[in-house]
Amino acid sequence: MAKTKLEEINRNIYDIKNKDEYDFKIKKGLTKEIIEEISKQKNDPDWMREFRLKALDVYNKLELPTWGPDISELNMDEIATYVRPKTGLSNSWEDVPEDIKSTFDKLGIPEAEKRSLAGVGAQYDSEVVYHSMKEDLIKQGVVYTDMETAVREYPDLVRDHFMKCVPVNDHKFVALHGAVWSGGSFVYVPKGVKVDIPLQSYFRLNSPESGQFEHTLIIVDEGASLHFIEGCSAPKYNKVNLHAGCVELYVKDNAYLRYSTIENWSKNMLNLNTKKAIVGKNAQVDWVTGSFGSKISMLYPMSILNGEGAKTEYTGISFAGKGQNLDNGFKVVHNAENTSSLVNAKSISKNGGKCTYRSLVRINEKAKNSKSSVSCESLMLDDISISDTIPVNDIRTDEVEFSHEAKIGKISDKTIFYLMSRGLSEEDAKAMIVRGFAYPISKELPVEYAVEMNNLINLELDGAIG
Amino acid sequence: MELLKLNETPVRTSRNFNINNIKLENISIPQEINNFNNMQVYGDESKVIIDNQNTKLNLTYGLGDFFTNQVSNNANKKIKIVIDKKVNKEIEIDFKFDKENNDLIDNIEIVAEEQAKGTVIIKYVTDKNIQAFHNGVIRLLAKKNSKVNIIVANLMNELSNNFMSIENKFEDESKVNYTIVDFGGKNSITNYFSDLEGELSDNKLSTIYLGKDNQLFDLNYIGELRGKKSNIDIEVQGALKDNAKKHFKGTIDFKKGCKKATGNENEDCMLLSDTAKSLALPMLLCSEEDVEGNHSSSAGKVGEKELFYIMSRGFELKEAMKLMVRAKFNKILDNIKNEDLKNEILDSIDKILD
Repeated sequence: MAKTKLEEINRNIYDIKNKDEYDFKIKKGLTKEIIEEISKQKNDPDWMREFRLKALDVYNKLELPTWGPDISELNMDEIATYVRPKTGLSNSWEDVPEDIKSTFDKLGIPEAEKRSLAGVGAQYDSEVVYHSMKEDLIKQGVVYTDMETAVREYPDLVRDHFMKCVPVNDHKFVALHGAVWSGGSFVYVPKGVKVDIPLQSYFRLNSPESGQFEHTLIIVDEGASLHFIEGCSAPKYNKVNLHAGCVELYVKDNAYLRYSTIENWSKNMLNLNTKKAIVGKNAQVDWVTGSFGSKISMLYPMSILNGEGAKTEYTGISFAGKGQNLDNGFKVVHNAENTSSLVNAKSISKNGGKCTYRSLVRINEKAKNSKSSVSCESLMLDDISISDTIPVNDIRTDEVEFSHEAKIGKISDKTIFYLMSRGLSEEDAKAMIVRGFAYPISKELPVEYAVEMNNLINLELDGAIG
Repeated sequence: MELLKLNETPVRTSRNFNINNIKLENISIPQEINNFNNMQVYGDESKVIIDNQNTKLNLTYGLGDFFTNQVSNNANKKIKIVIDKKVNKEIEIDFKFDKENNDLIDNIEIVAEEQAKGTVIIKYVTDKNIQAFHNGVIRLLAKKNSKVNIIVANLMNELSNNFMSIENKFEDESKVNYTIVDFGGKNSITNYFSDLEGELSDNKLSTIYLGKDNQLFDLNYIGELRGKKSNIDIEVQGALKDNAKKHFKGTIDFKKGCKKATGNENEDCMLLSDTAKSLALPMLLCSEEDVEGNHSSSAGKVGEKELFYIMSRGFELKEAMKLMVRAKFNKILDNIKNEDLKNEILDSIDKILD
């Protein structure tokens, strides 16, 4: 897969706040009237309006999770679930209002588009403000657009797939998403089309006391391939913001999809996101995830290997600092013969941060001759942080090869001593070890994201060790 | 009896994973507990005190209030074993369930005095075709510098129900090797908790389980490391045939202050049929930086190459399988120095695999 190059990104840009200006902001709370108003504002077709209302019913019936981080501070009465920015959708950056464009400029999105991306979508608060894709992909029949356009222009395709992979009763925040979703990206790659250069969607939440609920629906048809990159950030506010997005990936027979994410939400964000892929015969989905931001994160991408010979890989790192509780992991269900999964998860905790790796590997009765290998490593950088590993391994047939291993520990004194004997300061030695620890993940990212991740690690480590 | 929910994990995960606890239906719980008379004590009998006083138990974990309260209030065997420096023989207590003695509620307390060394074997066996009920608690206090081997052998039949709670407290430099042989019970539910608060305290827990038919094993093992340089090693080896099912929940919890502590957990399940099921949750919880924790877990069928090799030496498939299972269990069985017990366990393995 082609890799791209970009300038290094400075951390400070994530925290730039624009004035909270909008075209429309729904009142805070979550009621039937509010859902109907969102639906009206978005000019939903009838089926979508009904879907939203049904999802609200499900939301009201479901309980909060009885496990994981404490999210009791979330009060939906204090969250505005829809904020329409003061601009429509453009396919030219020149048409995007200056302050919004300036934010994305600083995040390096237009520059990346010029240099190394086949298409870009940029969402600001609840709506996509920019979407564009290279001409040759359009000619090949690739569709890359915002979800609202997809609902209007590809109604059958959307209706057949929307919230079928992630059903609305999956959990409470999926139901919430179903009720208030807005924005996001729709991608369809036709049979046999190889998209060699990545597509990228960037999600920016600027408005305080609000939520972002973008929906990403990707269909990679038989024999096609795609690399999709997702980035997200927000400036920090004093009160909680909520992100409850939903990603549905359909990877048809013999297709390939790589889904890369660098998540750098602000540290007042509750990131309760849901991502799931259904993988067909001899198809493969790879997840690459870097999780740095958020106050609380509960995110467990899931691969459902339904086709014979389907594969999945998960490569992820979480870095929790002061006040952060990152409860991340991966789920895979093997439903067919000769399927395989490979998981490589790492986490770093420092300054009182908490990282939890939570996972499920389920190999069902039909999945004869399947293989699964899971490795997770946790690094503790001080004695006030917490690191937990909570993996569930559910093996329901004998013709399998399954292994899981995990390690927890601190940076080895011997290694630090060795590096210091080669002339490095203790701080530099530790930073080098942490970067080395993260390297197996960063090497899987496009170059500009690897650079961003290293910068984030440096910033996170600054003053934390030594 | 309605649905029983027991053996909760110390930390919950998603309810959809079906592992936070075990739910059992239609378990026949004896309402009236008669005396249990078929108990034999071997070895240093003077160190075994039979007591008739009820003891209010306050377990940190245990299987749940119902089972703990039953032992607190209705135990029909209350035993205290004191291991002091004078103990010179291993102590063995055998409980044999038969028609007249088919319900056992036992409350066993073991105290290993400072500097003491000793071995205690507790064995549960059943006559054929009886439906026995066992609910027991074994508590161990390992005082400073004591070194103790405890062997618990559940060789009950697969019609019975076995419920077991084990709690261990470790003082400085105490060392406990715990070996659990878990073969019996239609349902065999065990909660094991070690509180390693002593500096340099050390717990090695080795378990073998072997299931057939519709047996269910639910093993919930918890090691909390509090003492500096404390250590726990959990080694679990098992094999399942027919429709047998195992839930293994292993938690190593590094508490703040347990500097230089280490913990290792290894669980390996051999699946001998395509309908046997293995569910595992090997947890590492860590609030202390200067520690080393590892866990590994694996599951799969018997290696074809190894089977082929053994069969090429003239063994039939069934015999080859037995050899493989025995080989897998041998390292743990070597902890058992009592040859009679070891042979009894080997016989059980053969019978289960026949």
